[in-house]
Amino acid sequence: MSSEHFKYPVFGQVDYFKYNNVASQLASHTPSPSHSQELGAKKRTVDPIVTGTSVIAIKYNGGVVMGADTLLSYGSLARFNNIERMKKFGKSTIIGAGGEYSDFQNLSQVLDDLVVDDGCTDDGTTLSTTEIWNYIARVMYNRRNKGDPYWNSLVVIGHDNNKSFLGKVDLVGTCYQDNFIASGYGSHIALPLLRKAYKEDMTLDEAKTLIQDCLRVLFYRDARSSRFIQLSIANADGLVITEQIALDTDKWDSGDSAKKKKNQDGRKKKNNYRNDSTQVILEYGHNVV
Amino acid sequence: MMCEEAMIDRDDYAKRVRKERKNRIMIEINFDKISSSIDSNHEEDITRDLKYLSTTHFELPPNSKPGEFLDQVWDHPNAPKPIEMAHGTTTLAFVFNGGVIVAVDSKSTQGSYVASRTVKKVIEITPNLLGTMAGGAADCSFWERELGRRCRLYELRNKELISVAAASKILANIVYSYKGYGLSMGTMITGWDKTGPCLYYVDNDGTRLKGQRFSVGSGSTYAYGVLDSGYKPDLTDQEAQELGRRAVYHATHRDAMSGGFINVYHVKETGWVKISSDDCFKLYQKYYNVKPINDNNNNA
Amino acid sequence: MMMDDLKLTALPEKEVPISHHRFEPYVDNGGTVLAVAGSNYCIVAGDTRMSDGGYGIQTRHYTKVFKLTDKCVIATSGMQADTIALRKRLDTQLRQYERDHGKSMSTPAIAQFLSNTLYHKRFFPFYTFNLVAGVDEDGIGCVWTYDAVGSHERVRFSSQGSGNQLIQPLLDNQVGKFNQQIVDGPRELSAEQALSLVKDAITSAGERDIYTGDFADIVTIDQKGVHFEKFDLKLD
Repeated sequence: MSSEHFKYPVFGQVDYFKYNNVASQLASHTPSPSHSQELGAKKRTVDPIVTGTSVIAIKYNGGVVMGADTLLSYGSLARFNNIERMKKFGKSTIIGAGGEYSDFQNLSQVLDDLVVDDGCTDDGTTLSTTEIWNYIARVMYNRRNKGDPYWNSLVVIGHDNNKSFLGKVDLVGTCYQDNFIASGYGSHIALPLLRKAYKEDMTLDEAKTLIQDCLRVLFYRDARSSRFIQLSIANADGLVITEQIALDTDKWDSGDSAKKKKNQDGRKKKNNYRNDSTQVILEYGHNVV
Repeated sequence: MMCEEAMIDRDDYAKRVRKERKNRIMIEINFDKISSSIDSNHEEDITRDLKYLSTTHFELPPNSKPGEFLDQVWDHPNAPKPIEMAHGTTTLAFVFNGGVIVAVDSKSTQGSYVASRTVKKVIEITPNLLGTMAGGAADCSFWERELGRRCRLYELRNKELISVAAASKILANIVYSYKGYGLSMGTMITGWDKTGPCLYYVDNDGTRLKGQRFSVGSGSTYAYGVLDSGYKPDLTDQEAQELGRRAVYHATHRDAMSGGFINVYHVKETGWVKISSDDCFKLYQKYYNVKPINDNNNNA
Repeated sequence: MMMDDLKLTALPEKEVPISHHRFEPYVDNGGTVLAVAGSNYCIVAGDTRMSDGGYGIQTRHYTKVFKLTDKCVIATSGMQADTIALRKRLDTQLRQYERDHGKSMSTPAIAQFLSNTLYHKRFFPFYTFNLVAGVDEDGIGCVWTYDAVGSHERVRFSSQGSGNQLIQPLLDNQVGKFNQQIVDGPRELSAEQALSLVKDAITSAGERDIYTGDFADIVTIDQKGVHFEKFDLKLD
C-alpha cells in the first residue's frame, strides 16, 4: 500500500501492538529526509538564525504601500546591510518578509514555481493576490502541522481588478486582511501609529510619508533595524519596489541642550589636555560642522 | 499445425489469465494508488488538508509519541492555556437477579470549570446494550458510537444480537490498539444476552473484566461504599434501582467533580429501560428530609 | 583514558528536556462566541477581535461566525489558523454532501459531523472552541456546544471562548432561569428579548475580558435563513 494513511492506525481496522511500532510509524509519517530529532536527522528551524525585522504596510486611495528595511541580522550582529526583503510574484503581488530569511528564500522558490506553472497554463487568467495569499496561508499551516514551520511573518500586498489587497500570514498559518498591517516589532511600535494616522482616501504621498515615519520610529527603538529602507507600491500602474532609501534620522537636536548642560557642571577636567576647536567637534559632532 | 497453435494458444492463454488475474488484483489495489498519484501531482502541502477527507483516519502529531505530544506542548514557555477536555465522573453498574442497574451522575468538568450539568453518561449503544462514560467524554462517546455501529453490523450479518462479552471485547481491542496514544476512558458495558444479565468493565489500558459490581470515576470510592453495603443478589427491582440512585447520590454529595442529575437505567431481558432522572438537589431534600430555603428550583 | 575513567563520582545523567527548544504549534487568538436558541429562532454572537496570543491585537475585523448552510452557522474561538483549517474541511465536505444528495446537510447532522471531524484530530487537536447553531428540519432553534476534541451536547444556550466563564452564568440565569425563586414571565425568551440579551452579554464580556471587543457579529437564524448584523463593542 503506497498510501500514507494506511500506515496510521485506521479507525475500523483492528491493529494490535501498534504501540511497539510507534517509532517506525513516526519515521514513515514524517517525510524523508526525516526531521525527527531522535532519528538524528536534519534540524529544522527551531530558532531563526539570519533574520529580518518588521514589515509594515498600509492601504491608500488606489493602492497599497509597504515598507521594510534592508538589514539582515545574525543574532545581535547586523550581518547583511543591503538585502531586499520584499519580492514580486507575478504581475500583481509583492510579499514582504520578516523572520528567517532562508525560509523566505525557500518559500519564494515554491511561489515562483507556482507563478511559472500558472503562466504555462496560459488560460488567460493569472494568479490574483488573494489566491497567492491563500496559497501561502495553506503552505504555512501545513508546515506548522509537520512541526517544521517556515519561520516568517509575511505581508502580502497587491492590486488587481481595481482592488487593493493587503494581508498577512505568520508561521503557524494565522492569516487575515486589514487596512494596515505591521509585523514583528512593528506590531508593537508601528501598529498604534498606523491606527492613529490611518484615514480612508489617503494619497500615495501621505501613505509613503507615513510608512517612512513609522520605519524611522522603528529605527529609533528596534535594535535589529536599520535606517536604510525600501518602499514598495502596488496600484493600477503595476508594482514598484523602490531603490534603497536612507531615512533622514538626524533629528537628535533635542539632546544637545542636555549635552551642553552636562559639560557645564564639572566634566571639564576631561578637557584639560586639549582645549581647542577639535574638542568642540568631538563633543558636538555633526551639529557644529 | 493447428494443434501446435492451439497448444501455444493455451499456454498463452494460461499466461494471459495469470497475468490478467495479477492485473486485476493490481487494479483493485490501484484504486488507492490512483487517488494518491493524483494527489502527488499537486503540491503536497496544499492537498494534505484534503487528502484524507474521504477516509476516516487519525492525524498524528509531528515527531512525537501521540500520548506525550500534548503534555510537551503545554510545557512550552509560549504555550497558550492548555486544552481542557471534558471529563465525566461517577458511574456505577451492578448485576442482580432482576437484571443490571446502571446509575450515573451528569456533571462534566473541564479542570475546575463545570462544562455541563446535563451530560448523558449512559450511552445507548443498541436497544440491548448500554455503555457508561467516565474519563474523557469525547473518547467515550466516540468509541462507544463506533461500537454501536459494529454491533449493528454484527446483528445484520449474523441475524442475532451480539453478546455482551463480544461487544465489550471489541471495545477493549480497539482501545488496546491505541495504547500509549493517551486515550482516557473507564467504561462499563452491560446488557442481557443468551447468558443472562452481563456486566463488563473496560478501560483505556485495554483491561476488560467481568464482574457483579463496578463503579468508575472520581466519585467511585464513595459509591462503592454505599453499593457494597446495600447489595444482595435478590433485591427487588425497586430496591435495586434505589440502591444505584442512592450510591451515586452520596458520591455526588462528597465528590466535587460529580453532580447534576442522577440517571438510572435498568437492563431487563427485553432490553434496557430508563428509570429516572433526578436533580441531586431534589434528592438531597428527599434523603435528608430538608426543606430548602429556595424551594422553587428550576434547573432544567 | 576514557572520559568516564576521569569521573570521580558517578554523576547522574542530565536529562535534556525535549520540549525546551521546540516550536510551539499552538497560539490562542482569543475571542468569545455565544448562542441562544428558541422554538423558532437561534441567535449567535461573536466578537471580531483577534489577539496575537499575548496582549496585542492583530486585527479588529476577524469574524468568528461562519455560515455553513441556510439553516446553520458555526461559531469558533481559539486559534485562528486551526479555525480556518477546520472551516475549510467542513465546507468541502458539506459541498460534497450537497452534490451527492441534492440537499444541504441538516443541522443535527452537521453537529455530529463536526464532532467526528474534531475527534479525528484527537491526537493533534484543533485548538478551537466551537458552537454549532441553527434551526433543525422542523425550524426549531438548536445549539450544540463542543470541547476541543469533539465531546458535544445539544443545549438551549451556550458560550465558548475566552469570555465563556463570564457569559455562561449569565445565560444560565437569564435564559435557563436556573435557581430562580420566582420566575417572572414565560420560561422561553422571545426572539427580541434573546437578541437584546445576547447583545448585553457580549458587551459585558468585552468589558471584563481583554481578548473580547471591537465589534460583534450578531447572527439571527430562522426558517427564512441566516442574517448577519454588525454591532459595536468597545475598542479598548
